[in-house]
Amino acid sequence: MRSINRTRRLLMWLGNGLLVVMLVWTLVPFYWMIATSLKKDREIYGFEATLVPRQPTLANYTRLFTTTPFVKYVRNSTIISVGTTVFSLVFGCLGAYALARLRFPGRSLIARGLVVTYLVPPSLLFIPLFAVMSTLSLIDTHEGLVLAYLGFSVPFATWLLMGYFRSVPVELEEAALVDGCTRLGSLIRVILPMSLPALAVVAFFAFTQSWNEFLYANVFVNSVEVRTITTGLTLFVVEDVFFWGPMMGASFLSTLPPLVLYLVFQRWVVKGLTLGGVKG
Amino acid sequence: MATRAHEVVADRGDVRVGGETVRRPRKSLILRREGWLAYVLLAPSLIVIFFMVAYPFFTAVYLSLQNKMVGAPGRWVGLANYVELFHDDVFLRTAWNSVVYTVVAVALKFVLGLTMALILDQPRRFNNVFRTLLFVPWAVPVIIVALNWRWIFDDLSGFLNNFLITFHLSNNIISWLSDPALAMGCVIAVVVWAGTPLYSMTFLAGLQAIPRELYEAAEIDGASVVQQFFFVTVPRLKTIFLTTVMLSTIWTATNLQFVFILTRGGPASRTEIFPHLAFMTALGARRLGMGAAVSLVFFPVLMVLIIVLTRRMLRPADD
Repeated sequence: MRSINRTRRLLMWLGNGLLVVMLVWTLVPFYWMIATSLKKDREIYGFEATLVPRQPTLANYTRLFTTTPFVKYVRNSTIISVGTTVFSLVFGCLGAYALARLRFPGRSLIARGLVVTYLVPPSLLFIPLFAVMSTLSLIDTHEGLVLAYLGFSVPFATWLLMGYFRSVPVELEEAALVDGCTRLGSLIRVILPMSLPALAVVAFFAFTQSWNEFLYANVFVNSVEVRTITTGLTLFVVEDVFFWGPMMGASFLSTLPPLVLYLVFQRWVVKGLTLGGVKG
Repeated sequence: MATRAHEVVADRGDVRVGGETVRRPRKSLILRREGWLAYVLLAPSLIVIFFMVAYPFFTAVYLSLQNKMVGAPGRWVGLANYVELFHDDVFLRTAWNSVVYTVVAVALKFVLGLTMALILDQPRRFNNVFRTLLFVPWAVPVIIVALNWRWIFDDLSGFLNNFLITFHLSNNIISWLSDPALAMGCVIAVVVWAGTPLYSMTFLAGLQAIPRELYEAAEIDGASVVQQFFFVTVPRLKTIFLTTVMLSTIWTATNLQFVFILTRGGPASRTEIFPHLAFMTALGARRLGMGAAVSLVFFPVLMVLIIVLTRRMLRPADD
């Protein structure tokens, strides 16, 4: 017993030590991002480069808002992410209800198909999708990107909600149907109010995954009017020269939406993650 | 059961008027056959999936058998693209790199993630603050992670060289991303930085679900801390280990953003991996057919993972 307690204490100290190392490893990149965004060019490059900004300035942020299309990128990312979130929720709820509550031929095949499509990685699909998008004239449109993103967010939404809807007691819905509720009515009035945590998880993942997506956004969009923040950032590189000041400022600002959502939804996010809800 | 269900459909009108007078097995009202409604409800999802996943996937297979270029019609070439690939040194190098990259990154994420989870499971003040901070990389868009690290690794003004020289830990500038011996290590470090939180989150959730009584019982039986870990913790987490590793292997092996931003596959193809090579072949060299072939070569391996995972992910839900 005593030796176990001694080992425990030892492990505690080891844990504290490792915790400090891991915190440094995790947080230094954020420090560097924010520090760079607050420096003047003179402190960023060359011999006078500093580790800590000597004369902090918001000049990079001013530059971002006045001389770059940053605001446009943010607007586009918002439109596309919100669009994807709304459609994933609606499509996901309808499909999940069918799979959870109705019996029909092909039910388990469709359920399996959903998971498979969710697991097929975008890097396999972007080449032919580029052809599909061209044929449907969806290149350089918000709609095109939303559709492409629905390709991964709808299967996930449907699958996650299907599991959740099943856990809602059948009796409640039965009562509603007996009282004259339609199927859609009972979905909206009985099942959805009881599934709010699952809906939050789905919304969170649909939004952040669309906001963070890069490959499709890079291949299917060329115009500045539709360009999203992730691909816009890489354009701060001109002829292999990086404008690190404004770029780190833009990086910091574009990290905020997913970061804030993560902080708000933390508890529920882990639940979604343990179900396999994220690409990381 | 099947015939009963049919009867219920037949007297659908009665159900609404006087539900309690009709005798039927439980659940029949909810689970009765309403096939048409199911298909209507599923239609939007199925249409999206067909056009955005299924059709493109089969088009990829079809494209990989053609010599199609961007903006020009393709000709059927059979397996010629694949044959060419296996005689190409860059491709063979890429295959090897992809394996090293995926295996090392996943292994490191696993070990670090488990360590992080075990530490956060220890009783400590402010643990929830530490947890929030350690999981933050997960919420950052991958492209931003990659750009940020590229800047950290920068030869002349990056944090790393700047730091090493300021504190006299190194006298000369190290070319982290363009040194053939270092580049792959640096890319993997970034992948690990971004990917570890996913592991620690799922592992921590698993650890916290283990009843404390199990450890107490093991302790009374005289099990050491190490034995407790291997005979209580590990068996309980086995499912989570497997699922996380398989999911993460798929996403790690197919994510091209890190390489795209950090090294572009260089120096001299040292960090070239399949998804990035496919991207460069299809859109850089404009060889769509060949690009599709590159991205599909790896698919059989992924397919095995996808099939196993699909079974696991549906097991608790599907009856």
